[in-house]
Amino acid sequence: MSDSKQGDGPKKDHGVLYIGMDLGTSRTSVSASNGVRETVYSMVGYPKDVVSQKLLKKDVLFGKEALEKRLSLKLYKPLEKGVLKYSGDGSMDAEAKANLKAAQDLIGEAIRLAKPRKDELVYCVIGAPAEASVKNREAIIEAARAHVDSVMLCSEPFSVAYGLDWLEDVLVIDIGAGTTDLCRMHGTMPEEADQVMFDIAGDAVDAELSRRIEQTCPGAQFTIHMVKDIKERWGFVGEASERCMVDLPVDGKPTPFDLTEQIRSACSILVEPIVKGIHKLVASFDPEFQTRLKNRVLLAGGGSMVKGLDSAVEKAMKERLGSGKVIRIEEPIYGGANGALKIAHDMPADFWEQLR
Amino acid sequence: MASFKDTLKDAVRQLSFKTSLDSLKKKGVQQVSVLGLDRIISLIEAAVHRSLKSRLVGIEREAVADATKAEFLRLLRSNEDLQRQKSEVEEARERAEDEIDTLRRELTQNNQALQLKLEQDALALATRYEGENAEIAKKVAAVVAGLAQTPGATATTVEQRLMELVMDVVSGERQSAEEARRALHDREVDNLQRRIKKLNDNLAATEQRLQQVAALKDVEGGISSVYREVQGLATGDAQVGKKKELMGEIFKANLKLQKKDKPGA
Repeated sequence: MSDSKQGDGPKKDHGVLYIGMDLGTSRTSVSASNGVRETVYSMVGYPKDVVSQKLLKKDVLFGKEALEKRLSLKLYKPLEKGVLKYSGDGSMDAEAKANLKAAQDLIGEAIRLAKPRKDELVYCVIGAPAEASVKNREAIIEAARAHVDSVMLCSEPFSVAYGLDWLEDVLVIDIGAGTTDLCRMHGTMPEEADQVMFDIAGDAVDAELSRRIEQTCPGAQFTIHMVKDIKERWGFVGEASERCMVDLPVDGKPTPFDLTEQIRSACSILVEPIVKGIHKLVASFDPEFQTRLKNRVLLAGGGSMVKGLDSAVEKAMKERLGSGKVIRIEEPIYGGANGALKIAHDMPADFWEQLR
Repeated sequence: MASFKDTLKDAVRQLSFKTSLDSLKKKGVQQVSVLGLDRIISLIEAAVHRSLKSRLVGIEREAVADATKAEFLRLLRSNEDLQRQKSEVEEARERAEDEIDTLRRELTQNNQALQLKLEQDALALATRYEGENAEIAKKVAAVVAGLAQTPGATATTVEQRLMELVMDVVSGERQSAEEARRALHDREVDNLQRRIKKLNDNLAATEQRLQQVAALKDVEGGISSVYREVQGLATGDAQVGKKKELMGEIFKANLKLQKKDKPGA
């Protein structure tokens, strides 16, 4: 917001609102310095026609509401594997353009959810995947700038570690829906060699669980959204603390199925690539600090809520690397947003000013 | 400090709700545990102090405690302001809606009055014409009857002549009377139409105002940040040097991304 523009809007002399945002494939979460913390599914829906628009009385719907009314909507999930479905070159087709608009609307909605006052300066830090392209990052910045006074991007795993004040010799594992990101922190900004990314994450677990249910539960009817709900409710690896009895419709009649084994097997696909990634980052680290790094592994992101995952990774680390200590962060959904909020808070005033 | 406690008490009171013993019994509650307001306030204060004590020492703790209390009071006031503004907007909206209802009712009544007036006028006019015609015919018949007794005059001839004469006179009078009545009638209709137009204009203006009020209500006031000014790194932070460096690197990357590092940008 330039000086010339300042006169047009409300006078901003009331205070400073910091917003930390975690822009994820499945969920977008915000934490703000007014105490607001909100999360919304990263889904955007536009009415299919005039009739739906009249019925829904809205031009655009977000999150769960969009998912519930998806039959009347053109539904977009603007992020895939952690980045915008947007190539940024001149040749992008109508679908890519629609996804870009959906992403921009989603960022706008996330900022609105933080309930900023009109008379406050709004400074926002958005945690974006390290692999996002420059065009992708520019699109995020552009979308956010329409709603805030100044905005910065930072790497998602970095913001998780910063939020917990763990800046040295720590390995962050951020399990999202589209990707799992591993990032080694050693007191400076992580570089390419400090990061490992792969696409075995929440969505891959859903696909695997869906495949296993299809194979073992004849006649069961379900959608990928139902499978996702089942995973979020029951997801575990290792020993089952209880049987996972789930009702699925068969010929329209709810029928109970024991999905314990299917859920365990589907969630277990996360463990092997994570341990491989840890192995790679530990083995290429300064040997003097390798033990310390192995004992400071942070598990974050929505996927970290799979029960027993920390123990399973720890067990595999002990087998393969001799030792390991995995700590699941307290708030997996808000870990990235809380860290981004802390970065926003600690950023000096003149840095914010220069980006306005 | 007493005023802070009182304010805290008021806040707790505002957040509480009243229920009767009967309604509790209906819900199956036999016994209730009672926790006094003073005890709740003491617990809040003790919790805040304990939390501060575990993290801060001495003067700093007192300063933070005072600042927190001041901030609490400010947020409370800010909340009260927002509540007041919300009530004002709602009152304005209700007033505008009442005004619109009144105007709509007046408009309907005036339209009905105009319609009734037009119907009554048409009926009165027809009745009057019939009466006048009958009267004239009666008079003419009387004249003809008189002439019939007069020798040398044909009754039919006389009647025709009389009728022509009378009708000619009557037509003239009728025409002038008609014009006078029409002028009067037009004035009344004109008045009513002007009044209806005015009411319509008022209605449109009020509806527009209502829309503005409604739009104003949709704009949420938002929630105040806990910070009055930009914060930055605390000098007492254990990793201040490292964090400063990291902030610098994040900033540089963003400056490059947002293309503001170019000369003259």
